[in-house]
Amino acid sequence: MAEVRFNKIRKEYGSTVIVDDIDIVFPDGSLTVLVGPSGCGKSTSLRMLAGLEEISGGEITIDGRVVNGLEPKDRDVAMVFQNYALYPHLTVLENIAFPLRATKTGKRDALRRAQEVADSLGLGALTSRKPKDLSGGQQQRVAIGRAIIREPAVFLFDEPLSNLDAKLRVETRFELMQIQRRLGITAVYVTHDQEEAMTMSDRMVVMKDGRVAQSGQPEEIYARPNSVFVATFVGSPKMNIIAGAIAGGEFRSSMGSRVALGAHVRQESVILGVRPDDLLLTPNPAGLARVALVELLGPRAIVHLDAGGDRLTSVVDADRLSDLSTGIAVDLAVRPGAAHFFDPDTEDRIELS
Amino acid sequence: MIRRLSPWSVARALLLWVAALTVTLPLLWVALASFKSPAQLNDPGLVIFNPNLANWARVLEAGILESAGRSAMVAAVTVAISVVAGSMGAYAISAYKAGGSATRFGILAAQVLPPAVLVFPFLTMAYALRLDTTYVPVIFAHLSFVLPVITWFLIGFFDAVPRSLEEQARVDGFSRFAAFRLVVLPQVLPGIGAAAIFGFTLSWNDMFYGLILAPTQETILPVAIAAFNTFRGVELGAMSAAIIIAVVPVVIASFFIQRRLVQGISGGAVKF
Repeated sequence: MAEVRFNKIRKEYGSTVIVDDIDIVFPDGSLTVLVGPSGCGKSTSLRMLAGLEEISGGEITIDGRVVNGLEPKDRDVAMVFQNYALYPHLTVLENIAFPLRATKTGKRDALRRAQEVADSLGLGALTSRKPKDLSGGQQQRVAIGRAIIREPAVFLFDEPLSNLDAKLRVETRFELMQIQRRLGITAVYVTHDQEEAMTMSDRMVVMKDGRVAQSGQPEEIYARPNSVFVATFVGSPKMNIIAGAIAGGEFRSSMGSRVALGAHVRQESVILGVRPDDLLLTPNPAGLARVALVELLGPRAIVHLDAGGDRLTSVVDADRLSDLSTGIAVDLAVRPGAAHFFDPDTEDRIELS
Repeated sequence: MIRRLSPWSVARALLLWVAALTVTLPLLWVALASFKSPAQLNDPGLVIFNPNLANWARVLEAGILESAGRSAMVAAVTVAISVVAGSMGAYAISAYKAGGSATRFGILAAQVLPPAVLVFPFLTMAYALRLDTTYVPVIFAHLSFVLPVITWFLIGFFDAVPRSLEEQARVDGFSRFAAFRLVVLPQVLPGIGAAAIFGFTLSWNDMFYGLILAPTQETILPVAIAAFNTFRGVELGAMSAAIIIAVVPVVIASFFIQRRLVQGISGGAVKF
C-alpha cells in the first residue's frame, strides 16, 4: 500500500516535450485513471512510474521514497500491458508464478500460490495450457493473476481492456475494480476510453498535450468541466458546444440558432456547453432547429439536430419520439442550471449567474 | 480428369529440375567416383561397374576422420562463442538500435574483405603469442566471419519478439539481463538452433584459414581433402571419398534447418 506522487514530472525526447511538468497525487489504495486522447502523455507517464522510461525532470515518489533512479524491479510495482505480454514459452501456472522466481520464494511454494491465484480468477482448469491456447479474456486474467501474485505496492494498467470485445470489456472492467478494491492496492490505470475512466475511477486525471487538463472525482469532472476540451472529452454523446452571445434570457448562436436559458445575464461573447441530456426539445413549426436524424438506443434515443448550421444532439426518452420525427422543427432550451459557459478566447470555464 | 498446366507452372517445374540436377549430378558423380578404380575413373560416364572400397580404405588410412574431428572441434568452439555473443549482439541491435540503423547491415561489411587481407595479421599474432601450434588462430579467424553472420541472421528473429516481454519481466522483478535470458532468449531458440548449424557449416567448409593458420601436421578436413592433390597428380578416387565425408553432414544439417534458414535470411533482410 502506498501513495504515489508526481512532482513536476517532465519527459522530453530531443526537443519534443511529451509530459510537461505535471503534478499528480495518487492516493493510497485508490484507483486513479489517466485518460486522454492518444499522444497526451498518459502512457509515457505510466511508463515513467514503472521505470521503463527515463524521467527528464521532476520526482516520482512511491510511499515517500524517490524512485527516479531505480530499476523497475526495485520499485515494487506490477504492470498489465495492453497486449498482456504473457510469456509464450511458459504455461499459465508458470506465467502467474513467474514474478515469484525473482524473490526468494521456493519453487513448490510459488506454484502453490500461483494455483491459488489461478483458482481465484477462475483459471484453475487451464493452468497447464500455454498462452496461445487461451482466449483473449483468459489471457487477460492470466496477466492480472501475474500482477497480483506478488502483492505489489502499486498496480499499473496500460489500456488492459482495449484488446477485448465490448461485452467482455464491461465484465472484466467490473472484475478488475473488485480485485483492486479487495486488495486495497493503489492502482494507476491508463485508458483513452472516457467511459472506462468514468465508471472505474476513484479519481480521474484528464490529460491533454502532456499536461493535466483537469483532475478530480469523475462525477465532479462531469458536472463541472473546467475547459471546452474536458467538457467534450468526458461524457457520451459529446457535449454540445456553441459559440454565440447571451441576451434577454436567450442564447443566440453565431450561426443563428437560439436556445432558451433560465439565466438573465448579458454576455457579448461566450461559448455555451449543453450536455445532450440537458438540451430540451419542444416541437414548434416556427422553431429554428430541425430534427435531422434519430438514433434509437432502446429506452432512449439520440436526436441529431440541424440548428441553423450548428449540429447539435439531444438525448430524449424513446416514448417522446412520436412527436420528434425527422424534419420536424423544434425550439431548444437548456434544463435550468445545466448550462456550461466557457470563455471564447481561452476556452476555460466561466461562471455566469 | 485433365490436369491443367499453365505455362508458368511448367516453366517453374523445369527451372526447379534444372537447379536440382545442377546440384545433385556432380554430387552423384563424386559419390560414384569414390567407389571406382583408377582405370574406371578415366571413364566419367561409367555408371554400372563393380564398386570397390580401396579409395575409402585409402582416405581412412590417411587420417581423414581425425581431420574431420578437428574440423568439427574448431567449428563447435567457433559456433559456441558466436551464438553466445551473437545472440546478445543481435538483441541489442534489434531492440535498442545499438550502433544506429547502419549496424544491421554494416555488421556484414567485413565480409567483403578478401580473407587474404586478414590472414597475415592473424598469422603474425599467432606466432607472437606462440599459439601457432594450436587451433586458437583458426578459431579466431573463423569467428571473424561466423560471428557477424550469426548475429545478422538472429536480428530478424529478435525483431519478432515484442518489446513488452522484456519490459514485463523487468517489472516482474528481473534485471535486464535476467529478462533477456529467461524471457527473450527462449522465444528465439529455434532461430538460434538454425544459426548454430548455419555457422557450423561456414566454419566446416572454410579451407583458406585452415590451410595457413592450423598446425601443419594436424590438418583440418578441407585441407586434408586438398592434400590428395599431390605432386604425382590428383588422387581422384580418394579425394572423392573424402569429399563425400565432408559434404554429407552439411546436406543433413541443411535439411533440418531449411525452413528457419529462409526465415532468418529474409527476416534479417526485409525489416528495418
